[in-house]
Amino acid sequence: MSPLTFKSVREMPMLSRSADTMAWNHTGSWRFLRPRYQDKDAPCSAACPTAEDIPLVELLASQGCFAEAWQRIREENPLPAVCGRVCFHPCEGGCNRGEYDDPVAINSLERHLADQARRQQLTAGAAPPPSGKRVAVVGAGPAGLSAAWFLGRLGHRVELYDAHEEPGGLLRYGIPSYRLPAEVLAWEAGLILEGDATFHPGRTLGKNLSWDELSSHDAVFLAVGAWRSNPLGIEGEDLAADGLAFLEAVRDERASAISGKVAVIGGGNTAVDLARTLLRLGAEPTIYYRRRLEDLPALPDEIKEATEEGIPIRPLLAPHRIEQGEDGLRLVLTPMQVAKDASLQARPTIAPTGAPDEEVTVTAVFTAIGFQNSPGLPAGSAQAVSPYLQRLLPAGAAEGPPVFVGGDLVNEERTVVTAIASGKAAAVAIAALFAGEEPAAKLEAGRVGTGGTVSFNRLSGGDRSAREPHVVGFDELNPIYFRYQGRTRRPGLTLKERRTTFDEVHMRISGALAMSEAERCFRCGMCDQCDNCYLFCPDMSVLRPADGESRRIDFDYCKGCGVCVVECPRNAMVLEEEPR
Amino acid sequence: MRQVLEGSHAVSEAVSLARVKVVSAYPITPQTHIVERLADLVAEGSLDARYLRVESEHSAMAAVIGAASAGVRSFTASSSHGLALMHEMLHWAAGARLPLVLAEVNRAMGAPWNIWADQTDSLAQRDTGWMQFYCEDVQEVLDSIILAYRLAETVSLPAMVVFDAFFLSHTYEPVDVPEQEAVDRFLPPWQPSEFLDPENPRAYGQMASPEYYMEFRYQIQQAMEEALRLYPAIDAEFQSLFGRSYPLVETIPAATGERAPIALVTTGSMTGTARVAQAELLEQGIAFDLVKVRAFRPFPQQEIRRVLGDYAKVAVIDRNISFGSGGIFAQEIRSALAPLDRRPALYPFVAGLGGRDVTQASIAAIVARAGQDAPPEDLLWEGLKI
Repeated sequence: MSPLTFKSVREMPMLSRSADTMAWNHTGSWRFLRPRYQDKDAPCSAACPTAEDIPLVELLASQGCFAEAWQRIREENPLPAVCGRVCFHPCEGGCNRGEYDDPVAINSLERHLADQARRQQLTAGAAPPPSGKRVAVVGAGPAGLSAAWFLGRLGHRVELYDAHEEPGGLLRYGIPSYRLPAEVLAWEAGLILEGDATFHPGRTLGKNLSWDELSSHDAVFLAVGAWRSNPLGIEGEDLAADGLAFLEAVRDERASAISGKVAVIGGGNTAVDLARTLLRLGAEPTIYYRRRLEDLPALPDEIKEATEEGIPIRPLLAPHRIEQGEDGLRLVLTPMQVAKDASLQARPTIAPTGAPDEEVTVTAVFTAIGFQNSPGLPAGSAQAVSPYLQRLLPAGAAEGPPVFVGGDLVNEERTVVTAIASGKAAAVAIAALFAGEEPAAKLEAGRVGTGGTVSFNRLSGGDRSAREPHVVGFDELNPIYFRYQGRTRRPGLTLKERRTTFDEVHMRISGALAMSEAERCFRCGMCDQCDNCYLFCPDMSVLRPADGESRRIDFDYCKGCGVCVVECPRNAMVLEEEPR
Repeated sequence: MRQVLEGSHAVSEAVSLARVKVVSAYPITPQTHIVERLADLVAEGSLDARYLRVESEHSAMAAVIGAASAGVRSFTASSSHGLALMHEMLHWAAGARLPLVLAEVNRAMGAPWNIWADQTDSLAQRDTGWMQFYCEDVQEVLDSIILAYRLAETVSLPAMVVFDAFFLSHTYEPVDVPEQEAVDRFLPPWQPSEFLDPENPRAYGQMASPEYYMEFRYQIQQAMEEALRLYPAIDAEFQSLFGRSYPLVETIPAATGERAPIALVTTGSMTGTARVAQAELLEQGIAFDLVKVRAFRPFPQQEIRRVLGDYAKVAVIDRNISFGSGGIFAQEIRSALAPLDRRPALYPFVAGLGGRDVTQASIAAIVARAGQDAPPEDLLWEGLKI
């Protein structure tokens, strides 16, 4: 130890320094702000109606932990093999990376993880002990399957009724196999039904499934979908075929052969599915849509793929009349235009242009202009529980079990993923009633983001319940630590193959691609132990326990400068006022 | 091994041979090639170093100060306005006694903008406590980096290796690149006596009261003097290993055995031109001895007196100017000669500012003017368009 005073330069050190250790100087006492590790919600998770824990899934995937990543998806969504194929992936729309280069290919990754699980024949974890409650779920589409899964996870026995022979609903009988192969759906539905759930095929609500029978259960969830086609309301309507029924026949392999020019009327996903199916069967479909191209309600990817396959889409033509001609059906179409003073409307009203009608001769006309709820629902008043769930109070049946309505019956979007969210909400609401809790409050406890997204993990007190329910925006990231890297494109069939087979159009990305794509994820709001905080801390006050536990702050020395918080690339830290 | 190297890349080679562990880099013309090549060397793995891209020269210097404080051999490079922006940190590096080496490419200061050779940028850092060595050719640039680390680590002071923009930085010359093994022998790993140690946390560079501040300054001056004393032995060791020697003041006589009537003092790359001019003028019967000054800090006053004291006339060419006074090397030389009873007549020329060529004709004109004129009251401009 050096002397504390010097009499001569010869006694002095070369430079000014403390005589001994400064470890006694607890600089933490200077602090008036304090950093804290605080995970938050990512915008992808908040945009996903099923609240998949996407940042964590991508982190696991980037490390090659595919099985664990798959399990974490199924914690929130039991149908990743389905959604990895047919979901409209709002997650990617919410992805902060979209403001940087391109959104992470979350949908491709989801499919990779599910297909990988299928290849490895992974199974779901064990269900909790039975509660003794029996729940009737009517409709085995995505909403019903989802409800069955989550009710099972809560220990409740499920009787799953459906009008069809196989589970899946529209997934099985509406969506063509080039988008969703039957065996993939069967595997995924099988994982749900292998628990304490029984599938009752061929049971149609209001026909061979009576209300009395349903009333014997402890709760009922109705998700029978919207299978009734809207009428065209034009002369000769009887000559047109129901598009959805035709798709169902194709999936059932009982459709009759078709060739020549055919007309598809409509602009939604069913219309596009129908046209692409007809193309594969050897016909020459044209889609006629009464509004403008930009008004098409079908998903942009679907429209793009149909166009790639050479299917013409003729906008601003409204069906006027169908006549039986000598060489087929004559479809008469009225040219339309945006109505006067309607151009500022989001989806402008249209009106005839006054030009002469157009006539096409076709072998068949198919309609897909929207669908109405399937029949058989009991009369009564409905009460919204969440954006994807209603509670039905049947008229004059105050004594019966609680009844919830979900799936396409209640949500405007009518997408697969909102149906799954609806099933999850129903399971949570039913379990809440069983436990004597208020369903809406229970759902609120698991909310992610500001919409109807509910995390099962969060409301069950899992690791996500520790996260701050704040959705991290791009402006809250420090993107200087990210590198530009192009988004992975999914491989697919050639156009020639697409036009002639029902093989899946898209293929799975490889494991190596999946890992590098998952690495693109910013992991908004989630500490991935990148150690920027450790590297930047000027006080060496970020402690890294050797056992791989989370980083900690050494508050003996942390002066609260906040550099760690600012340099955190993903906003997984927060700087707060020091409690007094 | 003999290679044809650009001056900037010779620096990068030398930094690599010195096994530098941290390089901080902020680009500026005409320095950028140095750090670009170092980035390549680090990226391809041939130089095991951390390469830090920073947002300014001030940070570039701060970063190597941090690295050297932790006991790691560190390097950065700059020029002109970049060096000026480092100014505050230059003082700190010397005061903290960190043996950093900085490659400084002499470039003129603005306004007006000018990217060509001029020494005013480095000479303006005179009082920062950095050693400064001026180089004549690319070989000397490469060797000086290695010598600078050795000297800097011996006396615990930072050193600048200074050389002219473009004339050296962007010129390819055949260079003898030393073998790594020999460099390792000449320049063993740095063993700092003091460094930041997380296991034994101490405070460094804290307040020194009036009671002690002067003693710390005294020690820096002592270290500068020690550098002058130790340099000849270090240079001799370098010569024994590599066959090349770089005295701080070197005389190149016009003819052996006799003293010419005039000594011409040059620094930097113009010395090479002066060598050629000397031979040509000698054929015309005009003799001058060439004196190459390599060190600016520490300034070799005694050596200057010994070498120049006996000449009748001394002409100094400064590619720099201290406004209101004159050429900066001339001032230093005048000051060094002041204690002598009989002093040579001094002819302080300013030439070649902002990259203007100092040609053989310029040298001939300077020698002729010094031969005829009486010593001036103030500075002499050579090549000025009046």
